Amino acid sequence: MNNGVGMRAKGIFAVLVFLLAGCAVSAAVAQDLNFEQLEQRIPRYTVIIDMSIEVSFGIHSAEQKGQYLGTVVTKDGLVIFDGTDLLGDNGMAAFTGISVKAEPTSVELVTLSGQRIEAEYIGTDQYTRIGFIKPVSTEGWDFEPVQFKDNPKFAVGDWLGLYMILPDFIDPPIAADVGMISALVKAPESFALTVGFSQVEMASVLYDEKLNAVGILGLLVDPSDTAPDGGIAESMSQYAMPLLGVLTGDRLTKLINDPPRKGEVSSGWLGIRLQALTDDMADFWGIDGKGGIIVNEVVKDSPAEEAGLEVGDIIVELNGQPIEVNREENTRLFRRAISELGPGTALEFTLLRPNGAGLDTLQMAVTLAEAPLGATDAPEYESDALEFKVRDLVFDDYMFFNQNPETLKGVFISELRQGGIAEVGGLHYGDVIQRIDSHDIYSVDDMAEAMEAVEANKPPEIIFFIWRDNRTMFVNIKTDW
Amino acid sequence: MKSTLLLLVVLIAVSPTVFGATSLQEQIFMARDKVMPAVVHIQPVVTNYFTGELEKQSVVGSGVIFHPDGYVVTNYHVAGKAERIICTMYDREQVTAEFVGGDPMTDLAVIKLNLEEYHGVVPVAEFGNSDSVQVGQYVLAMGSPLSLSRSVSAGVISTKDRYFSADVRLPTGERTGRYNLWIQTDAAINPGNSGGPLVDLEGRVVGINSRATLFANNIGFAIPVNIVRNVTQALMADGVVTRSWIGLHCQAMQEMEKYFGTDRNSGVLIASVDPGSPADEAFLKAGDVILQMDSVPVSARFVEELPAFYNRIASHKPGDQVLLEVLRGDQKYHFSVTTRQLGELQGDDFEAKGWGFAVKAITRQMALEYQLDDTAGVFVVGVKRMSSADEGGLSRGDVILRINNEIIGNLEQFETLYEEYRANTTPRLLMTVKQGGATRFILVKTEEEEEGEQTNE
Repeated sequence: MNNGVGMRAKGIFAVLVFLLAGCAVSAAVAQDLNFEQLEQRIPRYTVIIDMSIEVSFGIHSAEQKGQYLGTVVTKDGLVIFDGTDLLGDNGMAAFTGISVKAEPTSVELVTLSGQRIEAEYIGTDQYTRIGFIKPVSTEGWDFEPVQFKDNPKFAVGDWLGLYMILPDFIDPPIAADVGMISALVKAPESFALTVGFSQVEMASVLYDEKLNAVGILGLLVDPSDTAPDGGIAESMSQYAMPLLGVLTGDRLTKLINDPPRKGEVSSGWLGIRLQALTDDMADFWGIDGKGGIIVNEVVKDSPAEEAGLEVGDIIVELNGQPIEVNREENTRLFRRAISELGPGTALEFTLLRPNGAGLDTLQMAVTLAEAPLGATDAPEYESDALEFKVRDLVFDDYMFFNQNPETLKGVFISELRQGGIAEVGGLHYGDVIQRIDSHDIYSVDDMAEAMEAVEANKPPEIIFFIWRDNRTMFVNIKTDW
Repeated sequence: MKSTLLLLVVLIAVSPTVFGATSLQEQIFMARDKVMPAVVHIQPVVTNYFTGELEKQSVVGSGVIFHPDGYVVTNYHVAGKAERIICTMYDREQVTAEFVGGDPMTDLAVIKLNLEEYHGVVPVAEFGNSDSVQVGQYVLAMGSPLSLSRSVSAGVISTKDRYFSADVRLPTGERTGRYNLWIQTDAAINPGNSGGPLVDLEGRVVGINSRATLFANNIGFAIPVNIVRNVTQALMADGVVTRSWIGLHCQAMQEMEKYFGTDRNSGVLIASVDPGSPADEAFLKAGDVILQMDSVPVSARFVEELPAFYNRIASHKPGDQVLLEVLRGDQKYHFSVTTRQLGELQGDDFEAKGWGFAVKAITRQMALEYQLDDTAGVFVVGVKRMSSADEGGLSRGDVILRINNEIIGNLEQFETLYEEYRANTTPRLLMTVKQGGATRFILVKTEEEEEGEQTNE
């Protein structure tokens, strides 16, 4: 296989680094990576994913072709890849006013020898952004999953290699690249950071100098992302640059065993809003340790409420392990842990409860529930006649509007064609439709029923009763049948 | 004498060809001379706490003397939060003034000149009748927009019943405009003109100029003088305008008659009912159509009719019963709603010096506006940048519910606690706040005030 220009350029770079480093005697160099030998091995589990993706932006949609580098990770042929493009905007639509969605319409795996295998998209993990694809059938496909090295050890200065995908007019379609372990960070999580790789190489398998697969290129936990447990991210990252590094095999095991499925919930949910126990706050309470989680809100009918958690409780241990969250950015680690433990998992918390004079120490058992549906997974209804889309209200909406299912009922206007009948008639993105003519609307099913009745009668005007800016109002939509 | 004047008026009226070329100019001069001396330049020092500490700002505006005792009407957004007011009379003499009362809902305020400081004759402008003005009628806008010198601009009345939705806000933060329509004019109204009179060619005040539109040319708005007359009377008597409130938000019936099965020009549609309001407690609902109030038919087919309807409710004495005949579905029902006082739109401000932020009392109207469960706590108006409160995450709009273990029920309790903690120089406070619907705990490190800082380091 031809390693291409990229490799040569990196080679020069490596020499440069070597020179700059003052020619340290024991420094490892990139040349130790034997790509020739690797090239014999990688066709067994490396595939090109050929995907058509329907991207919708508001009511507009466009089909995009995408090529991704995939790696087979199980005997059933499960393939992982960088699923960032398919994440959409889960929850962020509330801020941006426009919902962005990406749905694969066709997926094919292409082996490096050119064999095409029909496949289907399963889902993408929103924390690691790893996407999952499964072949429809593995018959006639000779492959072997990649074996990740157990507990790989890293040192700053270690060289790593990977393969990246090239534009589809280039043959062969992959090229090698090298990078270096730049730091072994301990917070917000234990992670080996790298330099020399770029974000377009995310999810590529990383090899050490002994050609062990040590993990894949991934991101250090990014607190600016949204999370299902808190609804909307509680803190924003000040760094615009993603911090890349090694996502080791053991971090991937759980995801690979139970990949996230689009439209299905597999993440665990506690039902609290939270903040970090900062050092200042810990000092104020006289709490030793490296942090904790302060409970800010307990959601009604959630596992947290059932277990008896209260606002103001400080969770300091999860299953006997201290929770080391002392910065707002790191609350995401706790949320991710809860999410990844999955629904049905029984947990034990140690928590401190202020009693006026001091703190009581309590043990509490909680069984996680399924995380509520996100906005992108909520059932939808589209009206071609009125040129708009609605979806069921989801947990995030109630959080955002400061309401609950008792106080706010209806369906949420998620898309509205500009200049369309509904938009011209005065409906807005984010309006909650509660009644259409005499039909009460509680869900998209009611909506479908109401619209069916309306379309049968074709009245010149339709009266919508909606909720907007915390108040209700009537809107008269002039139709144009 | 009287007959000659009459003759002159008749001549002017019937002989436009003879006098027409100069009469408009003369009328403008006449109106100018009649009202201009009563126009005052107002330079108040206003206060705000948006940065977390007291900020004083000198602003300018205009006003007009309407009472021989020295009462001046101006805009609430000019003089409403004034600490100290200096007025400049037409002869450039300066006179201080006292704040008498203000009404953010109509953006009007009354101040009173300290006439013992003034030795000239006090000119008084005469109020006209804004109901009888006509679209297309010539008007003059008077004021002192940029400096002490007076200015006149001329135009016509473009519309006499401009409606703004009730969500318009004053620069001082209050919602405004629910109880009045505006006269729209193309006579230039610039920022410093605020509070100056809009005058007809007879030299009578028909409106108080209050706002210009930034995104359009030649569109200015004045509060009709008939509203001004009522509001100034109330402000002179009580310092505030007392209004009744039942918690309804209504919308125009136009385009809805068929759906609700009402006749044209019949009924006022309830769009929304404030939770916990008298209307809510009386079980009125969105979609009810009010046909009669106190046995008199009411209607609001157009939005322009809504302020008059709200005013009819507002003009009841707080505690009075309002009797409503309501159409719900195809049945008529009768409701008796006990009104409550609308109350202050915004509470008093208080600066927590050394804690790095300022708060205000929460009024019922604020609780409704910010979706608070009740009026408990204090509302954070501003947070000083880089203060420990700022770093701890306290921000404008948060509601402080507790400090350490003490519940903050209202501003008074906050002030008492503040004094206690200041006296004990408590170094750290744990505040429990509501932030966008969720609780948050914020640690605030208190600072010594600057006077006491110099010694022990």
